[in-house]
Amino acid sequence: MPRAGGTNATRADERHRPSPVRIDVEELGKSYGSFAALDNVSLTVKPGELLALLGPSGSGKTTLLRAIAGLTATEEGTIRFDGEDATVLSLRERRVGFVFQQYALFRHMTVFDNVAFGLRVRPREERPRAGEIARRVRRLLELVQLGGLEKRFPSQISGGQRQRVALARALAIEPRVLLLDEPFGALDAKVRKELRSWLRELHTETGLTTVFVTHDQEEALELADRVVIMRAGRVEQIGTPSEIYDEPATPFVCEFLGGVARFEVTAKEGEADVLGSLFPVEGDGDYHGPALAYVRAHEIEIVARERAEGVPAVIRAVRPFGPTVTVELSIEGRASRIEAEVPRELYSGGELGIGQGVFIRATSARIYAAN
Amino acid sequence: MSNRSFALLRPAPSVLPGWGFTMGLTLTWLSLIILIPLAGVFVRSAGLGWDAFWTLAADPRTIAALKLSFGTALIAAGVNVVFGFLAAWVLVRYDFPGKRLFDAAIDLPFALPTAVAGLAFTALYAPNGWIGSLLVPLGIKVAYTPLGIVVALIFIGLPFVVRSVQPVLADFDKELEEASATLGASRLQTVARVILPTLLPSLLTGFALAFARGVGEYGSIIFIAGNIPYVSEIAPLLIVIRLEEFNYAGATAIAAIMLVISFALLLLINLLQAWNHRRTGIQA
Repeated sequence: MPRAGGTNATRADERHRPSPVRIDVEELGKSYGSFAALDNVSLTVKPGELLALLGPSGSGKTTLLRAIAGLTATEEGTIRFDGEDATVLSLRERRVGFVFQQYALFRHMTVFDNVAFGLRVRPREERPRAGEIARRVRRLLELVQLGGLEKRFPSQISGGQRQRVALARALAIEPRVLLLDEPFGALDAKVRKELRSWLRELHTETGLTTVFVTHDQEEALELADRVVIMRAGRVEQIGTPSEIYDEPATPFVCEFLGGVARFEVTAKEGEADVLGSLFPVEGDGDYHGPALAYVRAHEIEIVARERAEGVPAVIRAVRPFGPTVTVELSIEGRASRIEAEVPRELYSGGELGIGQGVFIRATSARIYAAN
Repeated sequence: MSNRSFALLRPAPSVLPGWGFTMGLTLTWLSLIILIPLAGVFVRSAGLGWDAFWTLAADPRTIAALKLSFGTALIAAGVNVVFGFLAAWVLVRYDFPGKRLFDAAIDLPFALPTAVAGLAFTALYAPNGWIGSLLVPLGIKVAYTPLGIVVALIFIGLPFVVRSVQPVLADFDKELEEASATLGASRLQTVARVILPTLLPSLLTGFALAFARGVGEYGSIIFIAGNIPYVSEIAPLLIVIRLEEFNYAGATAIAAIMLVISFALLLLINLLQAWNHRRTGIQA
């Protein structure tokens, strides 16, 4: 039975697509003088996974990414691609697609030449013919939605377009893994959002094992299959976005994800009082002593004055935009303000006046023993 | 009419004042230092009349001298582009003991009286000199030949290339090299395809400066060249010879030709820069 040519080609491409690579990072260590950039880092990137390395600056996330790429030499540990030790391979042999934060496009080359670069520098016997290179470059530019811009120079296209050129260039070498350093760091908010969902689709399309670095928790949680949270060269927590969000393993993760109010409390028999209610301490049912409690803004409830539950507070500011209304509150004995997200009805009901006294309580809290 | 043409010269009005003052001062300065003296050359040679000028210009000795001057300056500038780039590379990329000394030594050709350099080279490269005596068995003669002129001009022009390339190379984004390497390029491919094209404008600048300096060089060459007419006699020397013969017209005619050719070549290099900039947006 005759088949449409297009379908045939797609089938053939899918057949040739190699199975995605698994990356094992084992006890990786790297220090700059006395500063440990990576401290005994072990993790596994599953084949075909989209993994985010999340952390504040200086947490070692970019060092880890560069180590996987082979751009930074490490002193301890190994990195394996499908079980094979990659640390002994040269950059060329690793075949890693790396997208730099500032894209690192070759300014003196057109978009076409930038994407073709990786194919043209191959040894003569492996290099595709010029016609084949042109065909592949065109297909990649279609994939990143840049058809028609072949002859432009990097200085003549927008930031978002440059980023996609960098991606196409990295994909041209048919990489075993794709690594992206702060892929949206240099873009404005609107373009970021667009490129985010586009990158997600591209990942589904290419099926490549992909690791990206970001300091934006929202980006990591929205985009990645799993998120690695790093701090001071160590892995703080690895998990799916919902695991990270629902069960932050440490106070650091809690604070880094943001949108929380922190309370210093004292626990008795594994429980502590937060805004007038008792909540259990994580992992230790009998804990006595100082503890840290975290409450998210949407877990703080403004109670009707008549009920007089929780603790008294004063409304200091109201930010009435978005799906919920954010209210800034101050309570006695606490210097920093507490943010609460409340339903819009409460605001339109006129019950939130600045300077007004209310009662607030926590509906949920995570409490960690302070060591 | 004159109002309109003046208006065309003026840039779009700016809130920041200073155009009139800086432009006026620059033009006056340029006129005093460069334009009026050079115009004098043309006025002087124009007094000759076209036929007399042409006879002087077409004199085989003049033509040989001009060919020698421009030819050796071009060759020396070309050599300097290669080795100046290497020197800049070593200075920017590597740390080694004595780096500061090496860096300072690059500028010596700027400071040294060129006659001293000429004497030193002559002593070294003469057939009985340290280096010259080694080259004699190979049949290579440096001193008192055009080759000697090239050697002297390489010395004179080196700092121009190094100092043009050095800052650009120091600012070179290391990620470009890393990108090239992850894409599978060998080190040589990275240098040839990524680094050199980016440095092209500064290399061209260095080339132009070294070349211009070479064309005008006098002090070092007259010692090493041997100054044999038709063989190793440079144009600036010929000008001096004409002056000593009280042939002022002849001297200015050669000067005028040198000016025109130099200006044309420098303009060509600048146009090349502009073209490269338009094409890729890489600024010199």
